[in-house]
Amino acid sequence: MIAGQLVEKAMQAAQGAQASVRHTESSSVSFENDQLKSTRSAQRTEIEVKVILDGKIGMSVTTDVADLGGVVGRALEAAQFGSTTHYTLPGPGASTEVRVYDQGIVPLSKPEMIDLGREMMGEIKAYNPEILVETGVNKHVRQVEFANSAGVAFREDSTDLTLYASGQLIRGTDILESGYGASAKRRQATPKEVAGKAIHWFRLGERNAAIRSADMPVILTPEGVSVLALTLQLALDGKNVLLGSSPLAGRVGEDIADARFSYSDDPLIDWASRSSRYDGEGVVRQTTPLIEEGILRSYLYDLDTAGRAGAQSTGHGPNREPTNLIIDTGDTPYEEMVRGIDEGLLVHRVMGLGQGNPISGEFSVNVSLGFKIEGGEVVGRVKDVMLAGNAYDALKDIAAISDRAEWVGGWFTGRMPYIQIGKLSVVAK
Amino acid sequence: MRERLEAALRASDAEYTDIRIEDSSSSWVNYRGEDLDSVGSSKTLGGIVRALVKGGWGYATFNDLSDLETRVREASESARLVGQERSHFAPVEPVVDELHTSLAKDYRQIPLAEKVALLDEYNRIILGHHDRIQTSQVAYRDTFRSIWYASSEGTYIADEQPDVWVFAVATARDGDNVQQAFESSGGQEGFELVEGFHEQSEAAAKRAVELLSAPPVTGGTYTVVMDPHLAGVFVHEAFGHLSESDFVYENERLKELMVLGKRFGPENLNVIDDGSLPGALGTHKYDFEGVPTSETYLIRDGILVGRLHSRETAARMGEAPTGNARSVGYEHPPIVRMTNTYIASGDVSFEEMIRDIPLGVYAVRTIGGQTELEMFTFSAAWGYMIRDGQVAELVRDVVLTGNVFETLANIDVLGDTIDWVPGGPGGCGKGGQAPLKTGLGAPHVRAQNVVVGGRQ
Repeated sequence: MIAGQLVEKAMQAAQGAQASVRHTESSSVSFENDQLKSTRSAQRTEIEVKVILDGKIGMSVTTDVADLGGVVGRALEAAQFGSTTHYTLPGPGASTEVRVYDQGIVPLSKPEMIDLGREMMGEIKAYNPEILVETGVNKHVRQVEFANSAGVAFREDSTDLTLYASGQLIRGTDILESGYGASAKRRQATPKEVAGKAIHWFRLGERNAAIRSADMPVILTPEGVSVLALTLQLALDGKNVLLGSSPLAGRVGEDIADARFSYSDDPLIDWASRSSRYDGEGVVRQTTPLIEEGILRSYLYDLDTAGRAGAQSTGHGPNREPTNLIIDTGDTPYEEMVRGIDEGLLVHRVMGLGQGNPISGEFSVNVSLGFKIEGGEVVGRVKDVMLAGNAYDALKDIAAISDRAEWVGGWFTGRMPYIQIGKLSVVAK
Repeated sequence: MRERLEAALRASDAEYTDIRIEDSSSSWVNYRGEDLDSVGSSKTLGGIVRALVKGGWGYATFNDLSDLETRVREASESARLVGQERSHFAPVEPVVDELHTSLAKDYRQIPLAEKVALLDEYNRIILGHHDRIQTSQVAYRDTFRSIWYASSEGTYIADEQPDVWVFAVATARDGDNVQQAFESSGGQEGFELVEGFHEQSEAAAKRAVELLSAPPVTGGTYTVVMDPHLAGVFVHEAFGHLSESDFVYENERLKELMVLGKRFGPENLNVIDDGSLPGALGTHKYDFEGVPTSETYLIRDGILVGRLHSRETAARMGEAPTGNARSVGYEHPPIVRMTNTYIASGDVSFEEMIRDIPLGVYAVRTIGGQTELEMFTFSAAWGYMIRDGQVAELVRDVVLTGNVFETLANIDVLGDTIDWVPGGPGGCGKGGQAPLKTGLGAPHVRAQNVVVGGRQ
């Protein structure tokens, strides 16, 4: 095991060391503008070494398997000027089995992947041949080797398969874009399902509707929940808490959201795209309740941040990145939510999220795909509309949470329900 | 390296094949608050093969350089699965060139300890500025990338691309009110670019504290004056991306919207992309297909006159290649990208520009921008109200949004001096490739009827 050799080499000079070696073999196919455009193979090697020398940390990375001596040497050099160690390396712990390797993905060939892409394109074209379609399939087979000087040594193999389909419909100067992507560690979503979700939003956008500027009820779709999730992601990051830049710092145990709102990070869901047994620092993964029935329970920590904060790593090393985020479902059917709104906005995609000051909760985003709700029905797509508000206020102003949830992927990945907010500010041109 | 690449290329049975190998070394220093957060270095060696067969592309990317012939064969087999028509690939003269960069102060020779000490100075300035300063982030990174490129047409280019930057964020807090301000400096030069950053560190801290007491802007439709940095981002995000021909060439409707000869703005509006400008962030002698970079007018006298091309999009649209095929790194094939895109200056001073505005917004710098075809949104780092022809109170959360065609048509005054956005950690993102360094420049730009987001 190369990771073990690296640790051994580093320990000749250092008092602590950790190494990881990741090998990935990938292939992908992509259709653009209604045509098969390219296929690709990728071979990737990443080697990372972290050392503790006289209480200081240094790290170095390389892609070159012939450079094992060099990478250790550079990590030791960096450690001379490195940041002070605030933690000890974790020893072996009992990890929970989670299924992340699907033998069925491995033999999937490029011609088969081309067929999957073509099938998604066909579905969308069958709905409306005017839509310019983009689809693709990506496959990864990954091996991670990890070792540290405290006795942790493991190898974890995983697979990933992503299917995505999106399209663009132009009518005059009116451009409608929609799409859906599904990632999992096994063959899960069918091409028909993926295309169907993209088509759903095209159907709703067939008509346009005018909306006025006002404070009104807003339903966030599972993807639209990103408006709240970004602020939470930043505010629950243990580093921002430690530095005091998170408004949620020091508020564990306090009521910060509606009592129906429960939010957790769960890396132990079989086949979910961010699942794994260990984090990147060799810490055993576990489910982390973040907000339970509106009450703040925990932040996300890696070893270093936890050490500095006097907390335990939650298994989110090395950069406190969330895994699969889960918002618990509520008890209101989505259809009933819509029926109860006389004038409101359904928000699916926004532009400009994170451009303002997201950790403060304030957002002011362009609704790139949103729909007017009128008299209890979704009546058409709205354009040139901004949505503004404060995510913390919105969490306390939840009017309903839907009884079903959907997986969403992208910069935040997880299972999200529809969430109705009492009132947000809608600014129309 | 040349012989090794040329030998590997002979294993291809595709119509066209190229190989790019990159050897990149990097070091970084990060402070978060009082603590030195991380110090480290990386060394990356990798490559990509592209093959073209009957209009279809196959790619192979790799870190293991031991068997280039196999990668070449993989790419040509991939291409063969795709190709089903004839290839479109504009001819260019093969080039053989070896470029060397010399840095005034070569950061590869500067010990990590010195980099850490300099960053520590900047960090202390921010943390010591005011008791409302909650925390800081000061980051440094240098990268030196050597690139070898060879094609089956006989082109061979060896290039060296340096990049260094320092970035400082000050976070001020008053109860639940948290405000941030940042400054950066950097570019394709040596360590001298990141020295002397003390005043900017102080400026970031000062602004973060001032923003605590600034009210959010009131949402509505205003006459907006964009400062040069924001206007540079606007023209890049809102207009520049639509000039990238890969968006356009297979999209009949978009072709109609972007038809050359169409009026896009006032008589005095000129927008140019120029990858050959000395000293700019997006400058290289050749693009990633070995095509020399050049000055390309996109809008001349308010009329759409040009667009940006790779060899493929140029051939498909019957236009000349412009040297705009760029890639962020060896894991990605080149796609059509901007280099240095700017609005040419007009002849009006800032004071004159605001003199007749009864109520408007002066939007300054940017903390991000995004477009979805004709819709754009971007956020000013801060802003001021303009009242009765004068710059008035500081405001925050200034987000501009709208339709690019309408907004360009609503530009009515251009300032007399161009300024460029400084280098830093960020860059342009497209097709999963980010951050790509691009130059963003403009004078002050005034536009009527711009929607400014915010609560009413």
